[in-house]
Amino acid sequence: MADEKAEKILAALGGASNIIEIEPCITRLRCELEDGSVVDEKALKALGAHGVMRQGNVVQVIVGPEADTIASDIEDLL
Amino acid sequence: MTLSVGSPVAGRVVSLTEVPDPVFAQAMVGPGIAVEPDRVAADVVSPVDGTIVTLHPHAFVVATESGAGVLVHLGIDTVKRKGEGFTLHVVKGETVRAGQAVVSWDPAEVEAAGFSPICPVVALDAPADSLGEFSEGATVAVGDQLFSWQR
Repeated sequence: MADEKAEKILAALGGASNIIEIEPCITRLRCELEDGSVVDEKALKALGAHGVMRQGNVVQVIVGPEADTIASDIEDLL
Repeated sequence: MTLSVGSPVAGRVVSLTEVPDPVFAQAMVGPGIAVEPDRVAADVVSPVDGTIVTLHPHAFVVATESGAGVLVHLGIDTVKRKGEGFTLHVVKGETVRAGQAVVSWDPAEVEAAGFSPICPVVALDAPADSLGEFSEGATVAVGDQLFSWQR
């Protein structure tokens, strides 16, 4: 179940090939992406994200306190 | 029951909206308050009795027995410090008492490195109207109540 969520978040971020780095920080995933414009904000929110902040190719997904777990689940998929 | 959330640091209590980070300022992960810490090296203490469920050098979450999670974040974007200047006194999963030292840091050093040392204290996923008795505007010592949380 958790892995499925990680998979869907990864897909919404443009897939594994789009990820340069994902770093969890307590409440958020800091994602450095090849291309920030492909991020599916609606999908991320549907997956429970409280918010998405974009600064070019750095996208922060606010997922709440489970950020650490989600990040390590995503790492497993990369 | 009412949970009293104590200040992890000494300083001046300000609104969460003054935190220069939209995640906290817009209460995306929960309502709370922030403390502009005194610029001296100090121990940061647990705001409540509970278990350290998440632990980073620059931030931690304490969950009470009833499952209330309180997030303490030491400064903004301080994840970029990669732990430099933060000394942990507990491990993840450890049981702590309110007032027990969790980490030591120096807000002046954080500020000198170009980061805001402001400390958001957030009631994770709490309904906004469950918090009260905010001590906004007050100068607090470590352990003084920041707000109460109706659970």
